[in-house]
Amino acid sequence: MTQKDFDYRKLNEELEVILAQMDSTDMDVDEAIKHYQRGMEIVEQLEAYLKGAENKVQKIKQQWDTSA
Amino acid sequence: MDNVVLGVSDFVGLVNQTLEFAYPNIVIAGELANFRVSKNRWVYFDLKDEYSSVRFFGTVYMLPGPLEDGMMLQVRGAPRLHPLYGFSVTVQSMMPVGEGSLKKAAALLEAKLKSEGLFDESRKRALPYPPKTIGLITSGESAAYADFIKIMNERWSGTEIRLADVQVQGDAAVGQIVQAIEFFNAHANPPEVLVITRGGGSAEDLGAFSTEQVTRAVAASRIPTIVAIGHEVDISLAELAADHRASTPSNAAQLLVPDKPQELDRIHTWQIQLGQLLSGRVLRAQQDLFGSTNQLYERVESMVKAENDSLQRAKQLLQALSPERILERGYTILTKAGKTVRSVSDITRGDEVTLRLRDGLRKAKVE
Repeated sequence: MTQKDFDYRKLNEELEVILAQMDSTDMDVDEAIKHYQRGMEIVEQLEAYLKGAENKVQKIKQQWDTSA
Repeated sequence: MDNVVLGVSDFVGLVNQTLEFAYPNIVIAGELANFRVSKNRWVYFDLKDEYSSVRFFGTVYMLPGPLEDGMMLQVRGAPRLHPLYGFSVTVQSMMPVGEGSLKKAAALLEAKLKSEGLFDESRKRALPYPPKTIGLITSGESAAYADFIKIMNERWSGTEIRLADVQVQGDAAVGQIVQAIEFFNAHANPPEVLVITRGGGSAEDLGAFSTEQVTRAVAASRIPTIVAIGHEVDISLAELAADHRASTPSNAAQLLVPDKPQELDRIHTWQIQLGQLLSGRVLRAQQDLFGSTNQLYERVESMVKAENDSLQRAKQLLQALSPERILERGYTILTKAGKTVRSVSDITRGDEVTLRLRDGLRKAKVE
């Protein structure tokens, strides 16, 4: 996954949904395991993102018209 | 010149030539009086002091905001003699001066923009949290910029910050800030949020952020805005028009993005919760399985018992009907060559037969 299509918000939301679904009692074990695996994948990605990524400052090369 | 007689128009032309040469433009400060706007376009007013009063003429486009008689104004303009209406100064630019007038002008502008709904709560939009891209409008040399970047780096990572390096005070500030806001809004791939910020300063230093132009540009931004001006007392109009307001550049960064250590904690909690939910589910599945096994066992057991019971009943019935029970009662079964003799005609004299009694067999011969 590249920096650009990584979406912290979306992954957080997905994880919250997974937790809520796993909390409901009527999920079968197979499904619970799949949810767990996906949840752990997301946790790893979020952690890696928080630990690894850096802020990027880009200075816009634009001459602001001083006469305005 | 003493002997030259001029026509009136020639005189006016001569005076104007002289004035243009001597004072192509001039800055005059004084108290505003007789301020009026004609046809929504032309502005007439006087500037006066204790002893004198001078007439001015301009257009509404030059107004720094709403004005009121009694305010101190500083006006740049060209003195001119009108052929019919006499002497006046044609306005090139004007601004309120002195703390009282600045405050008054700000209050008037605030009331005007407020009545237009620019500061309405209903206009405020939520900021994306956390944003992936930020358009930062500030001076790249300023402490405000350094503080913002520092707090961003401490709190959050992976954000793209695009800096529009503008002057935040002085004559050029207003135009540059407005242009930067418009630049980001016109961008094909605009940032998710605009941060317009500067550090504290005097009321005059912060003036750009209370101008009508900057305030309107902030209000018109399609990209959600957060305006952070470091100050203690007065709130700038740009802040009122922004979707969100922060007290300092650092505070803006705090409002914009979560705190990394806190997020890591939260993710860790979720990780534990995930594990607990799964093991809880597995435990429940095990309990269910144990319950099912038990049920199955109990069902088989009761089936076996029922089978056994009916077998016992069949056995008793069978026993009740058994030939032995008949022999017990004193009857005898007669067989010839293994076949039961049922009729006298089945046997003749001399036949060998077997008698079956309760306690054994006896051979006999028919007489």
